[in-house]
Amino acid sequence: MPLIKAGGKAADKPAKGDNSAGHLAGLTSAAADTRWSTARALAGRADAVPALAGALASEDSPRVREAIMTALMRVGNEASVKVMLPYLAADDAGLRAAAVEALQGIPEAVAPFMQALFADTDSDVRILATELARNMPEAEATRLLCALIENEQHPNVCAAAIDVLTEVGTKEAIPVLERCATRFAATPFVPFAVSVAIARISGTEA
Amino acid sequence: MAEADAGRSHGGKRILVVDDSSLVRLYYRAALEKAGFSVEQAINGIEGLEKTLTQAFDLVIVDVNMPRMDGIAFLRSLRSQADIAVAGLPALMISTESEREDMAAAAAAGANFYLVKPVSEADLVRHAALLAGVAQ
Repeated sequence: MPLIKAGGKAADKPAKGDNSAGHLAGLTSAAADTRWSTARALAGRADAVPALAGALASEDSPRVREAIMTALMRVGNEASVKVMLPYLAADDAGLRAAAVEALQGIPEAVAPFMQALFADTDSDVRILATELARNMPEAEATRLLCALIENEQHPNVCAAAIDVLTEVGTKEAIPVLERCATRFAATPFVPFAVSVAIARISGTEA
Repeated sequence: MAEADAGRSHGGKRILVVDDSSLVRLYYRAALEKAGFSVEQAINGIEGLEKTLTQAFDLVIVDVNMPRMDGIAFLRSLRSQADIAVAGLPALMISTESEREDMAAAAAAGANFYLVKPVSEADLVRHAALLAGVAQ
């Protein structure tokens, strides 16, 4: 289920009449409300990505961090994606969730990074990366997730991919899912998840 | 009626499962109901918190990574409630996050126990029974 609508993407939004110095000051204000409103004002401003990146790195307020992530999401270009991707490995669960939600909102910009994310050595990153396929076109999501599942050794990563396929997968995923269930037969949740996923994809769910 | 018997053996204990994965919720629900528990579900911390404030539970089982409100934030909020019955609700955190820091964060937020996914049906039921105060 989409968590954030990407409708506000405005990477080419002109920066006419802006006050860059004022915005930079706003992002480092001692007042969280000021930092929040500044981040919101910078939403979609491609030229503000470096400032937003710097602010995000030192921001403690979850509300402001979300506003910065949303501002970066509305830029929706390669640079803004590169700022957010490292937060998939953040120690803070709230920061990880904010990054996932923002990145889910810009599936086209995230797509070129999926292969690298699925090759990350950290299984927790690969798990969160499966969520980024949720808003991609079904055929593309199915292709990416099936390629991941075929080579993935960690049952939790496969389970996460199956979870997404359950919602967006196409029938091309069924043979891959069946092989996955066989491979992880000793982990009961995986065959269970596969059975539910196949039933939903094939329309035979009870 | 095997299920009813199992329910009595678990004292009709009510468990709230908070996880954004519908597959995980289905799996836990099937296992816990088979063991005789009554199960309610929530898809994130916000919905989970609303349910704990309006319904009585003996245990909450919560994931870490969830949209809207993650499991750590959920537990912090739960533990800060004025109602002692809500604030003191036993919590079993189950996550894919397996680093020591993740477990420390869960403990600091108020988790009573932490399991790393994938969790077997037997482990799930055993820990649920222990934390819900069911006599073994």
